[in-house]
Amino acid sequence: MAEPGAGPKIWVFVEQDGGRAHPVSWELLGAATGLAEQLAGGVVEAVLLGHAVQAIVPEAFAYGADRVYCSDDPLLAHYRNLPYAIGVSQLVQAHQPEIFLVGATHLGRDLASSIATRVRTGLTADCTELSIDPQLKILAATRPTFGGNLMATILCRQRRPQMATVRPRVLPLPERQPGRVGELVRAELGLREADMPVRLLGFEPAAGGADIEYADVIVAGGRGVGGPEGFARLAELAEALGGVVGASRPVVDAGWIGYEHQVGQTGKTVRPKLYLAAGISGAVQHRVGMSGADFILAINRDPEAPIFQVADLGIVGDVAEVVPELIRQLRARTAGAQGGSHA
Amino acid sequence: MPDPNAQRYDAIVVGGGPAGVSAAITMAREGLEVILIERGRFAGAKNFFGGVMYTRALAEVLPDFQARKPPWERPVTEQGYWMLAPGSVVRFMHASQAYRQDPADAYTVLRARFDPWFAQQAVDLGALVVPKTTVVALIEDADGRVIGVRTDRPAGEVFAPIVILAEGVNNLLTQRHGLAKADLPPRFVALSVKQYIGLPAKEVSARFGLAGTQEGLAIDIFGDATLGLPGTAFLYTDKAGISIGVGLLLEEFVKHGLPPYAVLERFKRHPIVAPYLEGGEALEYGAHLIPEQGYDRMPELVADGVLVAGDAAGMVDALHREGTNLAMLAGKLAGETAVMAHRAGDFSARSLGHYRRALEQSFVLKDLKQYRRMTDFLDRSPHFMGTYSGLVNDAALRYFTAHDRPKREMEREIVGLLRDRRGFFGVAQDLYQLVRGMRG
Amino acid sequence: MHTIVAIKQVPDTSNVRINPETGTLIREGVPAIINPYDVHAVELAVRLKERFGGRVTAITMGPAAAAEALVECVEQGVDRGILISDRKFAAADTLATSYVLGSAIEALNAEDPVDLLLFGLQAIDGDTAQVGPGVATRLGLPLISYALGLESFDPVARRAVVRRKAERGVERLETRLPALLTVEKEVAEVARAPLPNLIRAARYQPELWTAEAPLRFDPDHIGIKGSPTIVGRAYTPPPKTPGERLRVAEQGLAETVSQALAAILSAGVVESLGPVPVTPQQEVSHG
Ligand SMILES: Cc1cc2nc3c(=O)[nH]c(=O)nc-3n(C[C@H](O)[C@H](O)[C@H](O)COP(=O)(O)OP(=O)(O)OC[C@H]3O[C@@H](n4cnc5c(N)ncnc54)[C@H](O)[C@@H]3O)c2cc1C
Ligand SMILES: Cc1cc2nc3c(=O)[nH]c(=O)nc-3n(C[C@H](O)[C@H](O)[C@H](O)COP(=O)(O)OP(=O)(O)OC[C@H]3O[C@@H](n4cnc5c(N)ncnc54)[C@H](O)[C@@H]3O)c2cc1C
Ligand SMILES: Nc1ncnc2c1ncn2[C@@H]1O[C@H](COP(=O)(O)O)[C@@H](O)[C@H]1O
Repeated sequence: MAEPGAGPKIWVFVEQDGGRAHPVSWELLGAATGLAEQLAGGVVEAVLLGHAVQAIVPEAFAYGADRVYCSDDPLLAHYRNLPYAIGVSQLVQAHQPEIFLVGATHLGRDLASSIATRVRTGLTADCTELSIDPQLKILAATRPTFGGNLMATILCRQRRPQMATVRPRVLPLPERQPGRVGELVRAELGLREADMPVRLLGFEPAAGGADIEYADVIVAGGRGVGGPEGFARLAELAEALGGVVGASRPVVDAGWIGYEHQVGQTGKTVRPKLYLAAGISGAVQHRVGMSGADFILAINRDPEAPIFQVADLGIVGDVAEVVPELIRQLRARTAGAQGGSHA
Repeated sequence: MPDPNAQRYDAIVVGGGPAGVSAAITMAREGLEVILIERGRFAGAKNFFGGVMYTRALAEVLPDFQARKPPWERPVTEQGYWMLAPGSVVRFMHASQAYRQDPADAYTVLRARFDPWFAQQAVDLGALVVPKTTVVALIEDADGRVIGVRTDRPAGEVFAPIVILAEGVNNLLTQRHGLAKADLPPRFVALSVKQYIGLPAKEVSARFGLAGTQEGLAIDIFGDATLGLPGTAFLYTDKAGISIGVGLLLEEFVKHGLPPYAVLERFKRHPIVAPYLEGGEALEYGAHLIPEQGYDRMPELVADGVLVAGDAAGMVDALHREGTNLAMLAGKLAGETAVMAHRAGDFSARSLGHYRRALEQSFVLKDLKQYRRMTDFLDRSPHFMGTYSGLVNDAALRYFTAHDRPKREMEREIVGLLRDRRGFFGVAQDLYQLVRGMRG
Repeated sequence: MHTIVAIKQVPDTSNVRINPETGTLIREGVPAIINPYDVHAVELAVRLKERFGGRVTAITMGPAAAAEALVECVEQGVDRGILISDRKFAAADTLATSYVLGSAIEALNAEDPVDLLLFGLQAIDGDTAQVGPGVATRLGLPLISYALGLESFDPVARRAVVRRKAERGVERLETRLPALLTVEKEVAEVARAPLPNLIRAARYQPELWTAEAPLRFDPDHIGIKGSPTIVGRAYTPPPKTPGERLRVAEQGLAETVSQALAAILSAGVVESLGPVPVTPQQEVSHG
């Protein structure tokens, strides 16, 4: 392996909020490590902006960064487009990374395009797969288009860095290596509050935030669940399985459950270990959000429902019957298990 | 009290089908300020029909239509009937050099393409075509004269001394104004379901033995296609596809509890029909009503400040699957009447009576009068299509397979078939009724 | 006041079909619509016009058929529609698109100073959400993406307070005007347009701008030449081999469910059937 620092730099933007890093940053560091291995002498570097964010630096090393550029400034305490865009663009111009990955979160999508425009380079949005083109030795960024009906691999041949955003949960979380060390580079960006056109007046945290994105078990329901009462039963099932409730779009639109539960193209991408789809037909817009699950169990009374195409196991039956039975048997099991441990 | 800022025009046309657009073209060409209001996303967005458009009526409205490049599918160079029985068919087709003129007498078209083109001609001639807007009521003055329309949009009133109703078969406005009785009873309206099936143009030509897109077929089909019930099915060749459909009186669907789409699906699976459709992709699907109340039950065509044209007035000749041509000519005559009324400054029913007289002189009312008993005939002889189609097919089978038997015997058998199925008296009655239906 | 809305005509992706043999998109017969987010952006602009006066300009870069979309904007209440259309713009990526839109907006601003720029959050055909931020950056304007609504808007003091959807809640941001907002559908509910708008739209012809006139766009920055990204390969996602299907009707309810639970356990995706596992989010917060 070439000396660190000599080869092409693969950058990851570390997104943080109030000193807490967004896990997508670690997912990207994992991907960056993989890409660096395919480029001779490639190094993985992280960019971290914010205020009082020192604690995140060792985490970045632990997840694979060889070097962290960090700018700590009260002006950067809350994300705003302009200071972040100016700051990161300055770093890009100074250090000339080859590849730059950003999470496709609200913040990341806002920021990445501004940086790409400032440095006049190409940016591929919402990638689901990153690799190095074996011949060209450049980033091959694959993403769904046309509502998930088509996959396109995008290349950026000439300009640098080659930028891409990747949705949370699309890539696996790498192994954390506690104690792994790297180099910290402090960056002075010379930003002045007076130049900033936008001011944060207040923040209302989302109510009830069902964090489906990072749940290991999701019990999701669609129109076939029948109504809000059906969702109450799904919640019971989710609880019995130690998971959370997800939903298809029509039921969110119908108000049976909140938007934060929506899975799919216009909802969240999830990557749970178990995804249970109850009464969901499996339209492509839904599938793009959940097909990365390790195991998909579908319950649908229509044996031809497209959801069965992606399911690892299907139950052809009525949700109204199958879900209560699942709850019953699960409860019986846990009761049995507890009884067993007492003996 | 009309709002002084309200939109004012010389004439309002309700509906962007063949009748409405013909009226708009006729009036715009004569310099009237015309507004045509159409509820679809564009004129023709939701309209559909079987598929044959007749150019003679179109020429009456737009003499130079061919130069304006209508979106024809194929000219009809061969047409006729199939009598379908389960597993067999007797075809009765007519091809003629007379069908090979430019422009041809008839073309297949898709309304989703034809109607926008036709409406564009009205726009080019100066009419205003406003889509996505439904007329919900006629506005009357204190004396009950129509002076405008109300639409379903905010600030949605429009005024004109004359309104032409070309709203199609669901003629709610015509009814509400008291020109037509309430909804047509299911005996007098047919429901037709149709699919447009996409196939490569070469494939369409090859399957029907056509030399290319310069040749096309129009076939009306009786018998097993409609489970022997009174009604017809059709199959027309489009440029790169096939239009196929079945129509039955609404009453029959209701009486026999038949889901219309199931009837079409059954027809499509018929062993004679299926091979023509194989591998095609259903691109368009729809259902539409056809008014078949006949001459005697047509709505009033004229009232103070209002004229009714096309399907809204029941102007369909079901026997010859004609409707658009009647609609176009009626639209034109309505337009001409409106122009005359403007010249005379008189929009009363009496002045507008010219419209009815002009229609009586034309083929529109002449044909409708002639076939006034057709619906009644079918009504009274429901077995007509089924029995005779089956009969003809059985007869054909005997005729063509009777190679080693005396011909007399075969003929006697065929006559016997007829007697068994319907009885001589029945047959004689049918023939009498049929002739009466045709003669008027 | 003057508001410019950037709109894009997109295929209605709910109607997209794929040719299974070639894996290519069948665009034929797919209805074109205005990008759904953009419709709400237009509506917001029209509402502001009703309140503060002035006018609304809609611009789009696209094929000739996109003129229809501009006519629809006029139906909604837009005053002026500009179609930027030329073969030379074809195959533009978001960088080239934001160059073209940015230059056009600069020219329009010179004619009639712009107070507000509205973009849809994202276009449903590409889903990039990049063009709005790109244009704001080019024009050096404040950007607020994911805008949910205006809390206050003052064209005289040139200030606005905008609610923005952030990852974990809603931000209230004060911005100087002119600013560029990319909007969520919540910004304005689309009302049924009044008839006079439709009457005006029925005869409305959008202005056509080409690559040369009335503006001369730099040929190196438009179309393929101005686009750093290219599509290397496009394909339909390969279908997964479907798993087994248990039928309640054949095996009975209890048996089916018990088999399914056994399968989940043996797949090892859930370790036990017990309480809530720890999420990585909670883990990193300690670090
Ligand atoms: C641009 C765009 C973006 C979209 N984004 C998303 C998105 O992010 N997420 C999303 O989910 N959708 C999205 N959609 C919508 C998507 O196309 C589908 O319409 C939607 O996913 C269907 O939801 P569903 O499966 O709940 O409902 P349906 O398609 O109505 O399916 C209900 C299913 O339940 C079954 N069922 C009914 N009753 C029972 C019963 N008693 N027992 C068992 N099974 C039963 C039926 O057989 C059927 O398969 C989007 C669409 C578009 C156009
Ligand atoms: C299956 C089928 C097959 C047919 N085959 C043939 C054939 O082969 N040849 C032939 O010549 N004829 C055929 N016809 C008949 C023909 O389609 C009609 O006779 C013809 O379309 C009548 O034209 P129209 O303008 O009166 O009505 P339509 O074409 O029905 O037009 C009415 C228009 O008015 C609009 N409208 C209605 N109400 C309102 C309102 N309140 N406000 C605003 N707009 C309104 C509608 O959207 C529509 O665009 C067929 C019909 C059917 C159903
Ligand atoms: N070609 C275009 N013309 C005008 N506006 C566009 C164009 N492309 C994108 N936009 C605008 O940018 C928004 C985001 O698009 P995108 O970045 O492609 O997801 C859209 O909602 C439009 O408002």
